[in-house]
Amino acid sequence: MKILILGGGPGGYVSAIKAAQLGARVTLVEKKYIGGTCLNVGCIPTKVLLNTTDLYHTIKKDGEKIGIKAEDLSVDWQKLMERKTNITQSLVGGVEGVLASYGVEVIFGEGKFISKNQIEVLKDDDTKDTVDFDKAIIASGSKPVILPIPGIHGENILTSSQILSLEKLPESLCIVGGGVIGCEFASIFSRLGVKVTIIEMLPGIIQNMDQEVVQYLDFELRNVGVEILTNSKVEKFNPTSQGVEVTASTPEGEKKIKTEKVLLSIGRKAVVDNIGLEDIGIQFDRTIKVNKKFQTNISNIYAIGDCTGGVMLAHAASAQGMAAVENIMKNISRMDFKTVPYCVYTKPEVASVGLTEEQVKEKGIDYSVGKFPLMSNAKSLILGETEGMVKFIVDNSTDEILGMHMAGPKATELIVEGALALRLEATIDEILTTIHAHPTVGEALHEAAHGVHGYPIHLPKEI
Amino acid sequence: MGQLLVMPKLGLTMTEGTIVEWFKKEGEEVKKGEKIFAVETSKLTNEVEAPAGGILRKIIHKDGKLQVLEPVGILAGADEDISDLISKAGSGKVKVDENQEVKEIDAKVEKEKPETSSKRIKASPKAKRLAKELGVNLSKVEGTGPGGAISEQDVENYQAEEKPKVKTSPTAKKVAENLGVDINKIEKSERIMKDDVVGYKNFQMLKEMADPKETREKMTNMRSVISERMSQSQKTSAGVNYNLTVDTREMKRLRDKLKPIKKITYTDIIVKVVSRVLLEFPILNSSVEGNEIIKRNYTNVGVAVALDEGLIVPVVKYANIKGLKTISEDIKELAEKARTNTLQPDEMTGGTFTVSNLGMFNIESFTPIINQPEVAILGINTIKETAVNVNGEVKFIPMMTLSLTADHRVVDGSVAAQFLNRLKEFIENPNILML
Repeated sequence: MKILILGGGPGGYVSAIKAAQLGARVTLVEKKYIGGTCLNVGCIPTKVLLNTTDLYHTIKKDGEKIGIKAEDLSVDWQKLMERKTNITQSLVGGVEGVLASYGVEVIFGEGKFISKNQIEVLKDDDTKDTVDFDKAIIASGSKPVILPIPGIHGENILTSSQILSLEKLPESLCIVGGGVIGCEFASIFSRLGVKVTIIEMLPGIIQNMDQEVVQYLDFELRNVGVEILTNSKVEKFNPTSQGVEVTASTPEGEKKIKTEKVLLSIGRKAVVDNIGLEDIGIQFDRTIKVNKKFQTNISNIYAIGDCTGGVMLAHAASAQGMAAVENIMKNISRMDFKTVPYCVYTKPEVASVGLTEEQVKEKGIDYSVGKFPLMSNAKSLILGETEGMVKFIVDNSTDEILGMHMAGPKATELIVEGALALRLEATIDEILTTIHAHPTVGEALHEAAHGVHGYPIHLPKEI
Repeated sequence: MGQLLVMPKLGLTMTEGTIVEWFKKEGEEVKKGEKIFAVETSKLTNEVEAPAGGILRKIIHKDGKLQVLEPVGILAGADEDISDLISKAGSGKVKVDENQEVKEIDAKVEKEKPETSSKRIKASPKAKRLAKELGVNLSKVEGTGPGGAISEQDVENYQAEEKPKVKTSPTAKKVAENLGVDINKIEKSERIMKDDVVGYKNFQMLKEMADPKETREKMTNMRSVISERMSQSQKTSAGVNYNLTVDTREMKRLRDKLKPIKKITYTDIIVKVVSRVLLEFPILNSSVEGNEIIKRNYTNVGVAVALDEGLIVPVVKYANIKGLKTISEDIKELAEKARTNTLQPDEMTGGTFTVSNLGMFNIESFTPIINQPEVAILGINTIKETAVNVNGEVKFIPMMTLSLTADHRVVDGSVAAQFLNRLKEFIENPNILML
């Protein structure tokens, strides 16, 4: 079995390793860098910035309170950029090492299908290679959406990839789009002292997650000085000597925002161009169409991850990649999208798995909710991060856990308990009868579970 | 305290057993755990041990087949009054907690594993005790200790493997409770999830609504003969099916012209034609016996007659020398006899070729099964007004398809095709019969 994988991101490289583990001969074609957007200009580098931001901001804001005296505290942007590069390089090197250990052949260049069993790769040195395969997995990923707004191609208007390579911190930043990516950058830059404005078309930030937990983020962002304009739309960008003037229509009328840089985080779109899809008749419109086994209409060619639309998350792409490989090698599919967690790496962190309260209502399910505010959680108090809550949503007919939502410290780590509960079809009773360590933020999950049919221990009696 | 000895239930499926031997006589002293009598079932022989010490006061059944839990004897103290137990025994089966009785004690398996039964089973004392506690048959346990001895761990492992495990998600369990589903009845090798329970319940409800019932009845003699012959024929012959469509206008004209003189049917005409054409193609009128082919200078044409309970094939004997009138009368008489069950054996045997007509049921073509030991059968179908291109003009002509099955062991395709074409020639121009 010879498997070709197009794209070396978290969907593609995981597929390659899995396929090699199951005994396939694997060739991976990657245009630019192993690890894709995630490792190089996405998840990983942003979290490096976030980590420094957290440390800096905590000491700056709460230093005296927590007993750390620091004079002339400042962020060395150059050093931070160096560390970012070092970490991504080390991770990329690690993945390359694993690929090599499994004998995966990696070809750098632009791949384009020329038949159902052949791909042509235009390599960096302008020579061409043709690779034959029995099965292929397309993992071409996604790229930022650029809307046709006047002036959008101006030099100070950046995508998420470009903003990660700024030479210095800007004075001000206007973020277009208040989704996950926009909010993460807002949380980083605002705490590094940059004046941040978010312009969001919808009524609030991060509209696809449970709004009760998202409100903690909304509050905290405003608290550190982020201006959030909702129900607002950018009309045009005008270059100025200091940067850009953004014209937005808001419910309060037209507004002009002068800013040094603009970040576009409107969304991401599948990469479907110039890879030969139309030449060999693979069906796609904005995304590549696949069935439950991740097969395209051409049965020996599969597609996974962002290029198929749906849930555009690195861990979803990896899971899809492994499921596609298992379908190829063992003809079994094991992808359950309901356990895909959604994580927002901000302060506070926001994480979610399963159905939101809004979705449960819409479906007409008879449900109960258990909540616990982190204000009453010891570890959160120690961490100085009590802004947040845990929330379980439970089906009343069976007590099955339908969703877990959290805002607060470690939310992105703790969400795995909810994901596992969903995978196992656990009822709230399983959370209740699981002993949670003390003192941890995780205890708040246990407390919230108590709140479903009874009362949390560490909350005063309701009157 | 006196007690009744009963026929033990040695396995979940055991319903009765046979007493083959008493090791103790009436009045003899028995110690607890001593062998007291032997029981044989269809699967195994087992020696029953005394549940307590005492005197074997009475043997109720010396031998013979008994239902499970039926009293076989009385064990009591030497001077104890056992009249109560005797009267209890008289009333038949004793109510005993069945589960308690379902124990497989060191059963000697006769049929399942003869090679191990003859060998002495090596097991540690602890393993033996545990096996007894758990009701594990040591002869089935594979020993991993020194010299293949069975350890305590081996018994535990065996028990763990044998126990049916139903892994379910907690929600699935709740859903099962809510829906009143016995989760153990769901068959799945992986963990049972809530969708499995819902699916099972839906199927149960569907089944309830459909209320499926099956009945079983013995085949009539006729049905078993048909059943036997048809499957035999399929095994014996190498049947090939051929279809050819013929114009029936001339055949109809013949029938209509004869009507005032003699009412005849299309079947009559076709039997007449067949018995004539068969003489030109003796291989279709033959039989195979061993590696010999039997050919004839006569044709006995069977005509299948449908009855309520099956079908029967009376035979028009020597049809080749009979006129259309005689053939018609023969068929009519044989069919009548068939319906009134008055056919003589020789009227149903000796056929050399069979004709079967399903035209009255609007059948357009079918693949009849050869009536052994013949080598071919002709199926007659319905007559249908069919659009036919006649010299560039569309005409509707009453057409009929002839469906021939011929045994390729002796009848090759070209021969069968020629035979059908010859039939067509005759049917489309019955005047040839005059030649």
